Amino acid sequence: MPSVPLKADHLVAEAPLVSVANVQKTYFTRQSPIHAVASASVDVARGEFVSLLGPSGCGKSTLLMMIAGLEKPTAGVITLAGAAVAAPRRDIGVIFQDATLLPWKSTLENVLFPIRILKLPLDKYRDRAHELLKMVGLAGFENKKPGELSGGMRQRVAICRALIHDPEILLMDEPFSALDAITRDQMNVALSEILEAYRKTVIFVTHSIREAAFLSDRVVVMGGRPSTIILDKKMPFARPRRFEIEETQEFAQVCRELRLTIEAAHGQRQGHGQGHGQGHGLGGARADGRQQPVKASAAGASIIE
Amino acid sequence: MAKATISTETGVALPASGAGRFQGAVGPSSIVLPLGLAFLVLAVWQLYVVIWRVPAVILPSPISITEYIVAHYDILLMHAVPTTVESAAGFLLAVVLGIAIAIVITYSDMAREALYPNLVFFQLIPKIALAPLFIIWLGVGSQSRVAFSVFIAFFPVVIATTAGFLSVDRGILRLCRALTATEWQIFTSVRFPMALPHIFSGMKIAITLAIIGVIIGEFITAQAGLGYLIIFATARADTEVSMAAIVVLCICGLLLYGLVALAEAVANKFYSADSR
Ligand SMILES: Nc1ncnc2c1ncn2[C@@H]1O[C@H](COP(=O)(O)OP(=O)(O)O)[C@@H](O)[C@H]1O
Ligand SMILES: [Mg+2]
Repeated sequence: MPSVPLKADHLVAEAPLVSVANVQKTYFTRQSPIHAVASASVDVARGEFVSLLGPSGCGKSTLLMMIAGLEKPTAGVITLAGAAVAAPRRDIGVIFQDATLLPWKSTLENVLFPIRILKLPLDKYRDRAHELLKMVGLAGFENKKPGELSGGMRQRVAICRALIHDPEILLMDEPFSALDAITRDQMNVALSEILEAYRKTVIFVTHSIREAAFLSDRVVVMGGRPSTIILDKKMPFARPRRFEIEETQEFAQVCRELRLTIEAAHGQRQGHGQGHGQGHGLGGARADGRQQPVKASAAGASIIE
Repeated sequence: MAKATISTETGVALPASGAGRFQGAVGPSSIVLPLGLAFLVLAVWQLYVVIWRVPAVILPSPISITEYIVAHYDILLMHAVPTTVESAAGFLLAVVLGIAIAIVITYSDMAREALYPNLVFFQLIPKIALAPLFIIWLGVGSQSRVAFSVFIAFFPVVIATTAGFLSVDRGILRLCRALTATEWQIFTSVRFPMALPHIFSGMKIAITLAIIGVIIGEFITAQAGLGYLIIFATARADTEVSMAAIVVLCICGLLLYGLVALAEAVANKFYSADSR
């Protein structure tokens, strides 16, 4: 069974594991080109948990897909451990908003799916799969099919599947957005526990300020049109983190700063940043009808949903 | 429960659609009701023939047809074998051809754009009208009937299989790509199993069409086969023989359809979304 490498100690001053340098992405569609990411530079150290935070449509997924090697940057360079990313790599685990499990495979078989694809010896990984499932509280569900699991359980299976081949890097694209608020809070705690046991470098996309603040070592805020990185902030909370930290003054302060940053970028663009509903999420930005007039005016062709 | 209700309401097993993978369990009323109705129709038929003394040339009674089948099962069997074998051959080739075309359509945009409109246009031709041409091209042997059977039966397989291949969730495809899966791995471990319910619904249509193809071929030219027997007996006003041949044809059709359904049930064991 693959052990968890503890490289962090002797590689403290090492070069970043993930390096995104001046990356730009334009989608050339049949209509006008879509400038998804205008310019982004982020470094992620080994073992670090970095969130990409921003309203829907600001290019978070695009940036993550480029890091995963699923999309090519229009300009700029992304390197993983010093090597430029040209295609998907085996040492990355991905988790999407939908669990994307194979409906006819059992929980255990779904977790072992990457092992099959990567042609690794199945027998060696079976114990690890059981161990991971136990870790996320799914012991006893090994033979259930995805249709028999709740949304939160399915997403836990997806997390196990992403960890099964012991990848160095975990890329998560709004993994808990489709879950209800209570389940989502539970998943946040579960994820931080998992990462205490299996230390990984994580890049986590979310549009929830609280979620980003709770989970991350650093929060990188994306925003503006066309979108850039507007804030890169360290989270000052100690680990291990438990849910109680969300009730502290310090946590509220951090969330407030993140929210104001986003609002500032948002407000500039909209001309009236004040007074619209502030949940802890920013999901309404795309659906917000008030964006419409902007298309015709200042921002012109760069605003495309 | 829900599945059983649906199959009772519709009465027939409809081709699997996007909702629900494979047909579920069959409730008791879905067996009793259709059988009861069938017996009722046969009873009315028998009574009608007996009471009104309908001549056997016009309409033989169910009992006399049954008696004929029992008495002459060897002759009927002799004719049933080539029909069944040719239908099975036509069906299998249609499935292979249909899936192959579906793969090409799925993986090549150019092929899809070139092929698809033509295939649809082809379907607008009443294909039965082309049957005599197959005999000109391929002669009077089995090959012309099998070829015509393939020609009639492959299209539903193409349509259903293509729909199945393209129904694969984009998220799962992205996951596979992120895992550095090859196209072949994606095909065998995701696309094909995902398309199986669609493929089977196409196959169920194809098997009935394959039999029609062979029978039409036998109508036109054959020295054996149930289609030949039907034409031959009808020409001699031997309605009883003709009807007996039709009954045997139904049995052969049921047998072939049953084999497809059995294959589906086996696939269901491995690829069903419920754990049972
Ligand atoms: N494959 C694509 N083709 C064209 N446009 C795309 C594609 N993917 C994303 N976009 C566009 O790029 C912008 C950023 O999208 P995305 O990265 O999904 O944002 P986010 O994840 O922050 O919501 C959006 O305007 C979106 O419509
Ligand atoms: Mg996104």
